[in-house]
Amino acid sequence: MDFSDLLIQTLINGILIGGLYAVMMLGFSVIWGVMGVINLAHGDFLMVGAYMTWVLNKTYGWEPFVALIVILPLMFLIGYITQYTLINRILEKPHLVALLVTYGLGIAIASTVKVIYTANPRITITKFSGYLEFGEVVLPVTKSLVLVAALIMMVGLYIFLQKTRFGKSMRAAAQSKEAARMVGIDINRVYAITFGICIALTGAAGMLISPIGAINPFMGTAWTLKAFAITAMSGLGNIPGALLGGMVLGIVENLLATFVPNIGSGIGIITSYILLVFVLVTKPQGLFGGLKPPQDVS
Amino acid sequence: MGKNILSFIQSVIFNRKFQIGVVIILFLLPTLFAAREACKDLNEFSSPRQESVCTYLIEEKPVTSALLLSFTQMFILIILASNWNLMGGFTGYIDFGHAVFFGLGAFGTALLMGSSRWEEWPAIISDWSFWPAMIGGGVVAAIFAILIGSATLRLKGPYFSIAMLGTLVAVREIVRLSTNYSGGGLGLSLPVYLNRPLFYYLSLIILLIVVNFIKWLRATEFGATLVAIREDEIGAEMRGINTTLHKITAFTVAAFITGAVGGMWAYQNTFIDTDIAFQQTRTIDMVMMSMLGGLGTVSGPVLGSIVLYWLRDIVWANFLLYHQIFEGVLLIIIVLYVPNGIMGLFKKENDGTTLRDITKNWFKQSSKENKPNGGQKE
Repeated sequence: MDFSDLLIQTLINGILIGGLYAVMMLGFSVIWGVMGVINLAHGDFLMVGAYMTWVLNKTYGWEPFVALIVILPLMFLIGYITQYTLINRILEKPHLVALLVTYGLGIAIASTVKVIYTANPRITITKFSGYLEFGEVVLPVTKSLVLVAALIMMVGLYIFLQKTRFGKSMRAAAQSKEAARMVGIDINRVYAITFGICIALTGAAGMLISPIGAINPFMGTAWTLKAFAITAMSGLGNIPGALLGGMVLGIVENLLATFVPNIGSGIGIITSYILLVFVLVTKPQGLFGGLKPPQDVS
Repeated sequence: MGKNILSFIQSVIFNRKFQIGVVIILFLLPTLFAAREACKDLNEFSSPRQESVCTYLIEEKPVTSALLLSFTQMFILIILASNWNLMGGFTGYIDFGHAVFFGLGAFGTALLMGSSRWEEWPAIISDWSFWPAMIGGGVVAAIFAILIGSATLRLKGPYFSIAMLGTLVAVREIVRLSTNYSGGGLGLSLPVYLNRPLFYYLSLIILLIVVNFIKWLRATEFGATLVAIREDEIGAEMRGINTTLHKITAFTVAAFITGAVGGMWAYQNTFIDTDIAFQQTRTIDMVMMSMLGGLGTVSGPVLGSIVLYWLRDIVWANFLLYHQIFEGVLLIIIVLYVPNGIMGLFKKENDGTTLRDITKNWFKQSSKENKPNGGQKE
């Protein structure tokens, strides 16, 4: 395998994982954009989705992608209830309170899963495995399917936000809560359904993670951090930006893992951390602008 | 009625004589332990009184090794919470990754004491004795604080919190990957030295020094400057205060003490690896204990740590499996329902040092959320 093939292979791997990153962080950035809550429990909701897939796969032998029909409604319900019982109480309060409450929520979720399913790493088995070969370059089937599924989800969310009446009211609530109230939008209902949809999307992204890597109850923090890093690059609720940011992170991660010797998979989190701090220090408004709270925080 | 009980408790806790008495009792506690150990070695007793005392000590077990260990852990947590409060409470920079300094201090001390698994580890920085190694661990943490602080302390509000959380996770991975220094998944073993009273006294003395130091610091101009940064950073800058220098100094001091305590903990524990040294729950402990006690007060973290430590001891003893769920839920409950902490219950009026005031002032509310008392329901 010569250098150009290796480079192409690395880029392909980066793009394949980048789609997953993009769909994974959308829930985080839409919640931030619409409700102004930085959800530190994001990665843990992702983990719950992944565990649901694993349980269905293990006990009933379901394909991970089929598990979506259970995950989407169930995660929507979880999000809806969380919003009404918990997030509603912290909306009017400062960001610090939201940070701490969602942090606590994340720990509670992760430990609950640990108590039920122990901390052992779990792997989901899918029939769509193997590789397609193009000369020296190979294309993993599972990851390609994950990318396709991620793209479908993103297009779905985009159409939902742009075209449907409810998507428009969500965007209205994101722009100005007061004005949205004035034109007759029930803001609490919008918030609850937004949270539900975002958590459902996050759970679906968790389903995408489970067939391509091992999952464990405490993987949440790393994913939250990645979501934050991509949000810092792409802005809030910006779907094309999310795709771009996810691809950048995926490619940078894979380039480093391939061409720098002696570092394994742990590099991913370090890459996103360095990207995050670099973007926030040099451009506090985000790479393409549009990060919300920093203007409020002087 | 409730007010009377509160004010009675307050008058007892903040009574100087009571505090000194508690400290003296804490200092005398290990003598009972030593006496018990001495009794165990005795074969026959010289007097009936000695026999009755020894029987009591051995059979009733008033002070055991486990109790001393419990107290040592509690002292360590009080020190950590007080340190965290220096940044989180006084300066208003909520740090979600403070445990990184603890872990770096622990690893620094372990390496300086010559526990490296690497053959080529230079001899000049190994086989140090414990005391310089502990200070060395603190210095390692402080240097890292200067480096990382000069980048992350430029971030504001939630960004700082999340950048520090990222620091913790990233440094943990880097340390895990550098197998030569950290032993990777194998961890490092320190020289075994089991001496409970030593670590008990050491942590107690550090605790007294740190709490009094922070109390003194709060009263100096430096402390006032930190509070000014919390209240209005731009305003402080316009008054000609070098806010970055002050922030980095406070950050470094907190990191140094945390690192040194981490070194002591590593020596006491005799074994460290990345997962236990960089435990994320340690940060949560610091945040929760400071919040429960009262953010931005000197005595708050001390009270909060004591209450939370024993509360958690009860939970651990009875529901070991569920203790982390308990921690997460408790954090939510504290933030939502006791935002001012225990000190807030004692205070008659807010003087800008409680959580509610901090959050109100720190995150400048946009006009739409600008309700009296920060939009909270009373």
